[in-house]
Amino acid sequence: MSDNLNLPRRKALKKIGAGMALGASGLLSAPAFAQNKPLKIGVIAPRGGIAGTAGEGGIRAMEWSVAKLNAMNGIGGRKIELVIQEETSPKETIDRYRKLVLQDRVDAVHGVISSGVSLALAPAAEQSQMLTLLWDGTTQDGVKEMMPNPKYVFRAIDNEVDAVMSSLLAIRHFKGSMVRVAGINADYTYGRNTWTTFTAILKKFGIAHEVVTEQWVKVGTMDLTSNVATLKTAKPDVIFTSMLFADLPVFMRQAHNVGLTENCKFVMPAAGWQQTAMKKEFTPEGVVFGHSTMYFDNPAASPLQKEFVRWYADKYKDYPHWESDRAYFCLQLYKAGVERALAAKSGSWPSSIEIAMAMPGLKVESLGGPASMRADHIANQLIFQGLTTHKNAYDFPTLASVETMSTEQIQKPAGADFWQWLESTKFKV
Amino acid sequence: MSTEFTSVALGHTASLRDNKPGWFARRGLQAAIFLGVVALAAVPQFADAYYVSLGIPFMAYAVALLGFNLLFGYGGLLSFGHALFLALGAYASAMSARHFGLTSIEGMLLCAVGVSLLVALPIAFVASRFVGIFFGMLTLSFGMLFYSFLNKFYHLTGGDSGMNVPQPTLLGRSYAATGKMEFLTGPFYYYCLVLLALGVLVMWGIVRSPYGLHLQAARDNEVKASYLGVKTRQVRGVAFLISAVYGAVGGVILGVNTGLADPELAYWTHSGHLVFMAVLGGFQQFLGPVVGAFVFILLQDELQAVTQYWRFFLGIVLAALVIGMPGGILGTVRALWNRWRKR
Amino acid sequence: MSLIGILMAGVFHAAALFLLTSGLQLVFGVQRIVNLACGSLYALGAYVGISFTTWALAQGLPVPMFPLALLAAGLVVGLIGLPLERLISTIYKRPESFQLLLTFSLILVFQDVLRFFWGANPQQLANVAMHYGSVSLWGAQMPAYNVFVILLAIATAVGLGWFLGRTTLGKMLRATAENREASAAMGVNVRMVYLLVFTLGTTLSTVGGAMVVPTAAVSLQIGVDLVVEAFAVIVIGGLGSMKGAAAGALIVGLIRAAALVLYPEVEVLATYVIVLAVLVFKPSGLFGKAAV
Repeated sequence: MSDNLNLPRRKALKKIGAGMALGASGLLSAPAFAQNKPLKIGVIAPRGGIAGTAGEGGIRAMEWSVAKLNAMNGIGGRKIELVIQEETSPKETIDRYRKLVLQDRVDAVHGVISSGVSLALAPAAEQSQMLTLLWDGTTQDGVKEMMPNPKYVFRAIDNEVDAVMSSLLAIRHFKGSMVRVAGINADYTYGRNTWTTFTAILKKFGIAHEVVTEQWVKVGTMDLTSNVATLKTAKPDVIFTSMLFADLPVFMRQAHNVGLTENCKFVMPAAGWQQTAMKKEFTPEGVVFGHSTMYFDNPAASPLQKEFVRWYADKYKDYPHWESDRAYFCLQLYKAGVERALAAKSGSWPSSIEIAMAMPGLKVESLGGPASMRADHIANQLIFQGLTTHKNAYDFPTLASVETMSTEQIQKPAGADFWQWLESTKFKV
Repeated sequence: MSTEFTSVALGHTASLRDNKPGWFARRGLQAAIFLGVVALAAVPQFADAYYVSLGIPFMAYAVALLGFNLLFGYGGLLSFGHALFLALGAYASAMSARHFGLTSIEGMLLCAVGVSLLVALPIAFVASRFVGIFFGMLTLSFGMLFYSFLNKFYHLTGGDSGMNVPQPTLLGRSYAATGKMEFLTGPFYYYCLVLLALGVLVMWGIVRSPYGLHLQAARDNEVKASYLGVKTRQVRGVAFLISAVYGAVGGVILGVNTGLADPELAYWTHSGHLVFMAVLGGFQQFLGPVVGAFVFILLQDELQAVTQYWRFFLGIVLAALVIGMPGGILGTVRALWNRWRKR
Repeated sequence: MSLIGILMAGVFHAAALFLLTSGLQLVFGVQRIVNLACGSLYALGAYVGISFTTWALAQGLPVPMFPLALLAAGLVVGLIGLPLERLISTIYKRPESFQLLLTFSLILVFQDVLRFFWGANPQQLANVAMHYGSVSLWGAQMPAYNVFVILLAIATAVGLGWFLGRTTLGKMLRATAENREASAAMGVNVRMVYLLVFTLGTTLSTVGGAMVVPTAAVSLQIGVDLVVEAFAVIVIGGLGSMKGAAAGALIVGLIRAAALVLYPEVEVLATYVIVLAVLVFKPSGLFGKAAV
């Protein structure tokens, strides 16, 4: 859990490591030697900027999980040590990734939230043969070009899955009153893809509708009054927004303040990241609200999730969102992979490729529920969404009832192209 | 109009004039360049692979800064949008591979140089009328315009996801079989070193040429210079073009290093870092910015390893430099050397 | 709600921009310093405003008085201009480029200071802005507080105009802007003038940030993002001119609103294109002094 090593320590450790290798070669057997050396996991996550809160959520979950694992002998008998690096732009993050690989010599890298960074990182990971588990950042475009057949890189569920589920829920609950449809989304690949997903699904189910306006917002902008005014003029019945950064609560507040929330329904697949900032004062009831792979207040939550939420609320006076689940899932998956590979090697520590080959097909218990890794290195998890309610003890809305879907139903299968699959597959509302 | 500029706007006083170096200083500089190249060539043999890999962005920035400093140190024009050309170089590499099928580094470089000249021409035409703050603000605006363009026209540029820059062939040799790290810390490192050395030699020639003297004259006293026949506006425009080409070459190196060209390369704070490096090393010295790039990269790396508040410390360093050590590292070294000699 | 609503939203954005850039213009007009850290100061005012007002409300401050709490926070934090000016004064005699660099270093420092105290989470104030309800202007519904911000911006513009034009102190400022040596020769304490102007400029930014934040939120990014818009405003309006700040802010705000209605794709690009057009055809901007 310590932050990165600095130069003198690194040199000292090198000497110690060399000495240990000499000593171990003749006298000690491999597992005992390995147990002396901590298992270093590099973590790359944003700590500031627009995705800072997301990164914090993931890092905190990792720290909690690592503390619990280390109290019980770590992974495969080795204590876990986290080396945390900040995720910023692709160019800078690649340099830090190389630092983790070459200088800190970590055993695996977890993290990454932005799609741009993951697209730059994945080829680097494959080339460095470094086992890399991505928490997020899985928007479709460019994936095929950059990550054709990953061996070392494992990805989270497709980002568009949340939009698929929200669209289905919107049809189920708002059918009949979805004539005038508007969208306000962040002006980047994720925003565009989710909006296209929504309109494609509406068309698929033959919902007669008219797109009255499409707003494209610069990511992270804090003044949406002009966009809100334009939306109000268009008089929509339903507004779809996949905004998920600090701009979402700003939008909601400004929309409420001009009365847009009175007669309009909202569909917000990714609002869970901002759940505690979406105060009851301006976030209406009865809107589709997505929490992706973890909903902190799920009555059907496992004891594990409840314990985590309690710990998080006590320590940080806040409630965790799904990034915590993604981080936890990757750590559990990694642990399971290591254990499976260890068993196959009966004693000696497995190499990265051996662990990587052990991970597909594994099922683990994540915070949000059961989760698994597909053969094509994409995860399968449960998604939690629902309509909002104000009947709770918090100052922000929660879900009136939780609807759960599995990515096995709403995520593209291995090898498929997202857009072709979207068009051809049959969904159940 | 140039004749309306006031002395306040000129922004550079006589104290920054680079005095013509004597025989000793010239030889000294040549020796320094030679030793520098030798030292850099030796680095992969001794240093950790990680530090060797840091050498690539160092060389990319060093090349870009040689061009930037022609504009700033020798021309007196502070551009706060120079990252535009870095981004342009990276995107040119990506596009030359995708649209023209050119996967050789020479092809990428050619494409980058060509595109940067095309883009720099209109900007130079507009910007050469200004100096000082206006020049800074104008270049910042152009840089951000390009940034928005990269994000908006995503069908062309890949938007926020960027564009892939494939591993290029060097001098016709494909290194597809070697791993990326081996490629970067081996053949590509030496290729970039040669590019840097060439860049240094060419820039040295430019700076010592009559053109270079005209540029410095225009910097020191524009009115006098134009009275003496120096076409100040043209001279500045040409400096801008040259600096654009150098920037694009640096951008190609960065693009290959990252494997991706993304819009963040053009954001204005990236330009700010370029200025930081130039000032850190000493923008009044020929090799100052190169030294600045080296120190900045190491400094940022060490700071990030130690604290998550590294921006704070970088800011303090920059403030201290600006207030206390405006000559930067090399400038201070030179001042100390001169004082020691006069004892 | 029709075009009027969109127009009013554009005016609101212009008001926020004016509050941000008026300080910038004042400082440039008198001292010829472009403070790149103006966005960071705006963010600082917003963060402190939120913390202080939240605390004050918890202590029992009656809700209708929250703007006073914000104003107080903004004014107090604006005093940071005093030490900042002393810092920047060390390089007054240096070339202009150096002040750009020094103020850029301030951006870096501020970003981490804000992160240290407030963390990575964006901050927002409880929706007290709605306490004053909404008003209906020519058929457009708008929160009354937003109208208040617009009025505040107008009042600031008028107040600054009066201050610079009518008061002795204001005349001293303008004299110093015109000709520093002559003013000093006439007995103007230039040092104090600079200190005053810079602090006033800083305070305008911090108060602006504090007053606008109830309508939105603040994050670590906005300090850097706002600089670009601020530049657009002062280039269009003309460097150093208060009228320019108002005109530039209005133009930028309305362009955004118009673009959103007509052709949303070019919203951001439209602003830059106008900036470049101004720089090419009328570099002094609408109201600026002679081209530099």
